[in-house]
Amino acid sequence: MASRLSAARAVRQLTSSATRRPSAFVCQRWQQRPQIVERRLFSVSAAIREKKYTEDHEWIELSEDGTTGTIGISTYAAKALGDVVYVELPQVDMDVVAGDTIGAVESVKSASDILSPISGVVAEVNSVLEEKPQALNKDPEGESWIAKVKVEEGVQTVLESLMDKKAYEEFTKEE
Amino acid sequence: MAPSRGHFRRATFRSIFPKPIVQSILYNRRTLSSASFSQELANPARKVQSYISTSRDPYLNLSIEDYILRASPADSTVLFLYVNRPCVVIGRNQNPWSEVNLGILCSKKQSTSAAFGHVDLVRRRSGGGAVFHDEGNLNWSITCPRSQFTRDTHAEMVVRALRKLGIDRARVNERHDIVLDQGPRQESVDPVDTHRTSYTVQDGPRPLKVSGSAYKLTSARALHHATTLLSSPNLPLIPQYLRSPAKNAIQAKGVESVSSPVSNIGLDVQHFQVRLQEEFAIVHSSSEQRLVVQELGEEHLSIPAIRKGYDELRTNDWMWSQTPQFTLSLQPYLDLEISIRHGIIQKLEGTAKMVEEWRSALLGHKLQDVRSWSAFLQNRLDPWTNECAVLANYLEVHLPVPELFES
Repeated sequence: MASRLSAARAVRQLTSSATRRPSAFVCQRWQQRPQIVERRLFSVSAAIREKKYTEDHEWIELSEDGTTGTIGISTYAAKALGDVVYVELPQVDMDVVAGDTIGAVESVKSASDILSPISGVVAEVNSVLEEKPQALNKDPEGESWIAKVKVEEGVQTVLESLMDKKAYEEFTKEE
Repeated sequence: MAPSRGHFRRATFRSIFPKPIVQSILYNRRTLSSASFSQELANPARKVQSYISTSRDPYLNLSIEDYILRASPADSTVLFLYVNRPCVVIGRNQNPWSEVNLGILCSKKQSTSAAFGHVDLVRRRSGGGAVFHDEGNLNWSITCPRSQFTRDTHAEMVVRALRKLGIDRARVNERHDIVLDQGPRQESVDPVDTHRTSYTVQDGPRPLKVSGSAYKLTSARALHHATTLLSSPNLPLIPQYLRSPAKNAIQAKGVESVSSPVSNIGLDVQHFQVRLQEEFAIVHSSSEQRLVVQELGEEHLSIPAIRKGYDELRTNDWMWSQTPQFTLSLQPYLDLEISIRHGIIQKLEGTAKMVEEWRSALLGHKLQDVRSWSAFLQNRLDPWTNECAVLANYLEVHLPVPELFES
């Protein structure tokens, strides 16, 4: 397991510094951003649209037209966290880079980061979680999604590197 | 389990490095350069590491701690001890206006109301509630692999360290905090059980809290940090700092503190610090070699990641704008409710006469930009009615924005 974790995690550890928190510290990046995918990607295949999981226990699912990715935390993660008392959501229009913190969950005196598996711009957040944080325990992989991110070109490569449901289940058994 | 109190009495404490009694630890007083600290910390061969801070700066100590969480090897276990100058530390998702008596933190008033100088205000990165720190409080933090993490493991180790110093009333409670039981002595219980003492009672005097825990979890790592009230001279003042006049007027999302009666353990900070470092070495370091305790401090602020974290913790944005959405009610003085999100006034609702004028004066303003509500409103409102004065006074009391630290 250790070898599987190593590279991707090392990168995330380095990129997910506290200053990338969603609120208040959104810096305007001066670099030219890759093009946001505005129209349907003809290359979006069924395999890519399948729900994928990260080793950090987030899930991501592409919209039918392939332009938006819905991000949430896995049922396994929600169980491990215990009773959620607060969900910190990102701000709409925030720029994210894969591995960035896009939110945080507090449960039983613990703050845990939610990382974005992909790069893009936050298009929508699930405000229900602000009112009812405990909903995250009930339906983490359905109604209690965290954010929708407008994806960039190259998202396929990222998604291909993530685990499908079966691989993720294997992975959580090992943990 | 024999208490080793007698041995400690013979020890002399010349510096912050008292002589270790058990030969399990070794102090390294040579200060590591920033580059070598970064290297040592990230060295995959160093599975067990022990550090202590010479700084009393809460912002720096929390930033060193966060750096340890992010830069230590994924399978390592790291102890970091520090003592902060007087400060109030709130949890990541708390509302400072409802959790802290900010009025007495405003620096001009502080010198008259407190027995000590300025009290800093800090928002930490971990969850949990508001606490008061001073020089009689030792903070311990342990970073370990997430896969090994439980909320009790490290508190249990601290209870064992306390019991070895004769504190036999100490146990871990259901909130993962450490308390001293106050019941009469009953039959002996299993001395290995860190969740029960001979003084644990169902009904009877409430246990006193002596250590409060909070956690920060990343994908591979878990940080558990906690206070330990050993010999605070300010115990009677603590409630005064953690009781807000705005508590009942504020409806806040996020995390409310659970207030508990507290007590000093009655041990010397250095005395307990050594015992804890030894306990940590015994539990985690299997080798015959003694575990080196390395000193960290202000010089390590030159590490860019520590500097970045330090600067961020000291910003008004982190302190005030990070506050979860909340509303402030002005009942029964005015029929008005003010809603604030990301530290910005978003809505004013109610039937107060001048609500329209107040809206145009207040909407869109960041609380942290207002140092005096009276001056702010007087500049923007004409005519200045009695109701305006009521509003200004109310905001002065309920939504003050003190300086975080002495500049």
